[in-house]
Amino acid sequence: MSPHNVVVLDNGGGLIKAGHGGECDPLVVVPNCLYRPPSSKKWLYPNPLNPTTTTTTTTVEPSSVTEVDLTSAAVRRPMDRGYMINPELQREIWAHLFSSILHINPSNSSLLLTEPLFTLPSIQQSMDELVFEDFNFKSLYVADPPSLVHLYEASRRPDGLVSRAQCSLVVDCGFSFTHASPVFQNFTLNYAVKRIDLGGKALTNYLKELVSFRAVNVMEETFIMDDVKENLCFVSLDVPRDLQIARKPGRENLFRCTYVLPDGVTHTKGFVKYPDQVHRYHSLADDAPLAPTETKEDMNNTEMTEKPEDRRRVDLTKNEFDLTNERFLVPEMIFHPADLGMNEAGLAECIVRAVNCCHPQLHPVLYESIILTGGSTLFPQFAKRLEMELRPLVPDDYHVKITPQQDPMLGVWRGGSLLASSPDFKAMCVTKSEYEELGSARCRKRFFH
Amino acid sequence: MDDEVSNSLRRMSSRTRKVAPKMAAALASSDNRTQAALARLEALENDNAGIEAVEAIDDDEASLDDEDQVFMQKKQSKGTKRTTRQAKALEARKAPRTFLELLHEANLELLPPHVPSYWKAAVGPPSSTCRRHFCTVCGFSANYTCVRCGMRFCSYRCQNVHNDTRCLKFVA
Ligand SMILES: [Zn+2]
Ligand SMILES: [Zn+2]
Repeated sequence: MSPHNVVVLDNGGGLIKAGHGGECDPLVVVPNCLYRPPSSKKWLYPNPLNPTTTTTTTTVEPSSVTEVDLTSAAVRRPMDRGYMINPELQREIWAHLFSSILHINPSNSSLLLTEPLFTLPSIQQSMDELVFEDFNFKSLYVADPPSLVHLYEASRRPDGLVSRAQCSLVVDCGFSFTHASPVFQNFTLNYAVKRIDLGGKALTNYLKELVSFRAVNVMEETFIMDDVKENLCFVSLDVPRDLQIARKPGRENLFRCTYVLPDGVTHTKGFVKYPDQVHRYHSLADDAPLAPTETKEDMNNTEMTEKPEDRRRVDLTKNEFDLTNERFLVPEMIFHPADLGMNEAGLAECIVRAVNCCHPQLHPVLYESIILTGGSTLFPQFAKRLEMELRPLVPDDYHVKITPQQDPMLGVWRGGSLLASSPDFKAMCVTKSEYEELGSARCRKRFFH
Repeated sequence: MDDEVSNSLRRMSSRTRKVAPKMAAALASSDNRTQAALARLEALENDNAGIEAVEAIDDDEASLDDEDQVFMQKKQSKGTKRTTRQAKALEARKAPRTFLELLHEANLELLPPHVPSYWKAAVGPPSSTCRRHFCTVCGFSANYTCVRCGMRFCSYRCQNVHNDTRCLKFVA
């Protein structure tokens, strides 16, 4: 079987990454949803993302889905909390993907499909029905994302620790949730995996909430606020300091950025009004001490700083809003979900708990082989902040080394492509006739490690 | 979800019957502050957060009741010219449910203790219970709590904005 007959499908809650096994990159990255603008009666298929916006780590260009005006578009997703709950909708989206975008014939192809860890048997069964009964794929292999990320990183650096020790800790901060998963000898140690119920979707919704209460109502603007988040949010290295800076007036406020909403006439996408504002905070050397300021806010002491009314005085007809502390308070949730009122530990503790579930001999290697993947790790300064929080929690004689993946949204797919082109791949698959003979549950045992 | 909550939910219109459990708990709770906090967390996982659950019935299959579901599938199958066999298979298939409903049906708690599962992978509560509070109006560190809804604010000015525009927003 040529790897080119293997369709590699990373079926994410936010984005589908799809292409042919053996290739470097997926042919297509497309939102895993249907959308409906207010002007449309029908649900529409989103266009694939521009490949250049998915492979570069930072972009100032708006990376919205299409040229279509997505203002106030409603969204339907087949995935809920990371898992495929609506096979009908998933089938529609896949049918369009296979026939109109990838131009493949499933009955001549094998499928390598990613599936999140701990997928419920009922969902696995729906998936198998889709693959074999609705689409008639010749054979199927189901892979979990962390093992694919590990495989890809190990192959990139054959002499690196990940490859030599055959061991890594994959931190995947995706659309629906965040997992810390130890991988050993290409198998995810699922008894040690830890999950935070927060991902990019919740972050976008949180940003919507903040902006809606403080400036303009954007509660219906999923696509626009995704763009705002991707272009403007970053991880703070010192939250109390940055909160002070975010209150300063004028140019002293290194975080203030103005975002212009689409007006549906001259521009159908939103954009950052003054792109040079975006990176001004980089001038904050993290060791430069801030001039001493009041740390405790007094009920009456607001003369020195911006008054809330000033923020609210924004002309709503202008269709633009300013962001200041929202830029870092949004990604902050991943590090401290408790701030939101969620009774869950943050990312650093999540990693420590995952490591502690593994054999003690693995601990030092795992801390030294942390791989960051998933779209929500793209926030600037993510790795640095994680290291700052993790270091004090790890024994002093262990090294902490965090390696961000080069294109964190594509890492899982690339690992899948690699696996699909390995000589063993065919033997690992379940064929359609095996599925028909054995049924979903027994076939699934073959993928269980 | 306890019985009282589910009963009170059942009495609600079938349109809103399938709201998620946290929201349900929030709606049934007599404590405004708990209600607001739970509703807020639930909203973070919504696809169309701006559209109220009751208005979303046209868009969101998950909130349709079963009769509507069948009707909608028929309509869909006609529209997309599916074969009769497929249309039948469609009707036989169960209406999509939320992940939390599927999770509940999976009875993971019956698994032997050593088997890894969705529940066991949950990270668990933070070791330090200290929660930082940010002003819900301006985002700055907030030392004051609204007695009615439990949301935070940093100053009189923000308190006024809070009272005018967002107090008890999720409960109203
Ligand atoms: Zn305030
Ligand atoms: Zn209040």
